[in-house]
Amino acid sequence: MAVYELDCMYEACPIPLLKALKKLNTMEIGDILIMKTDHNCSIVNVVEWVKKQGHYIDYLEVSEGEWEIYIEKAK
Amino acid sequence: MTTSSRIEEIKRQRQKEIKFKKNQKKYFYIVALISLIILCYFISNNITYAFTWFIGIIIGITMQRSRFCFAASFRDPIMVGTTSLFRAVILGLMISTVGFGIYQYISLSNMEAYSVMDVPGQIYPVGIHTIIGAIIFGIGMVIAGGCATGTLIRIGEGYLMQVVVFIGFIIGATLGGKNFEFWDKLFISSSKTIYIPEYIGLIPTVLAQLIVLGILYYLAIWYDKQNNIMADL
Repeated sequence: MAVYELDCMYEACPIPLLKALKKLNTMEIGDILIMKTDHNCSIVNVVEWVKKQGHYIDYLEVSEGEWEIYIEKAK
Repeated sequence: MTTSSRIEEIKRQRQKEIKFKKNQKKYFYIVALISLIILCYFISNNITYAFTWFIGIIIGITMQRSRFCFAASFRDPIMVGTTSLFRAVILGLMISTVGFGIYQYISLSNMEAYSVMDVPGQIYPVGIHTIIGAIIFGIGMVIAGGCATGTLIRIGEGYLMQVVVFIGFIIGATLGGKNFEFWDKLFISSSKTIYIPEYIGLIPTVLAQLIVLGILYYLAIWYDKQNNIMADL
């Protein structure tokens, strides 16, 4: 039940998604990944992709133009 | 939103830690006022500019809100297997097919005989330069993280990295404009302009194009449901 942080600040599309994808593959079921990003497309394409894979996901705008995406690996 | 109790808890915790947000609404009102003044100026001077200005703003708002991105629409199907933006592009093409079909029908029905030059729309020679240009543009677009629209939207939002892309943009467009004659002589003027309605009529062309786009749309839905190519990266 570990919590990982992934810094994707200043990374353009599609790097945040690829980083999340690689990190998720190394995680155990029930682990949580916190992604930090300032790229607005991430909160669309990461969310869409993670939902399609069947993991839990939500996000929060923590500052102007900065978001945190929370992913719990479900399977 | 498919969320879990643990995510909810982290989110609540973080929400408490975040102090306050700067209110940016006043900037919005200032910019809105400026664009309204410019619009009024154009209406009194040049009505074409007024329409262009107004439509440009509407398109900008729509693209920002919808996060519409041509780069992602062609990249995501291959990279992660999601085709929602790709389907959006197909829908956009369908709508413009109908729109241009009607517009061309009206403007051509007034003419007895027409040449392709008279048809309204972006009808240009197609040839090897189209393919080479498209490949170069596609590579650049994915590396830069956005095509023209995506870059401009993100600069507007304050994502400064895209300013680098924008500088490249200006250089490329200027060089292209300056050397257009050279490329025109080399490839473009020797290529053929193909306007399918010339051969089979306007209405059958529009219908055929809609059918092809419809098939592509359903293929995209089917593809989305398959396992994606790079999921096991």
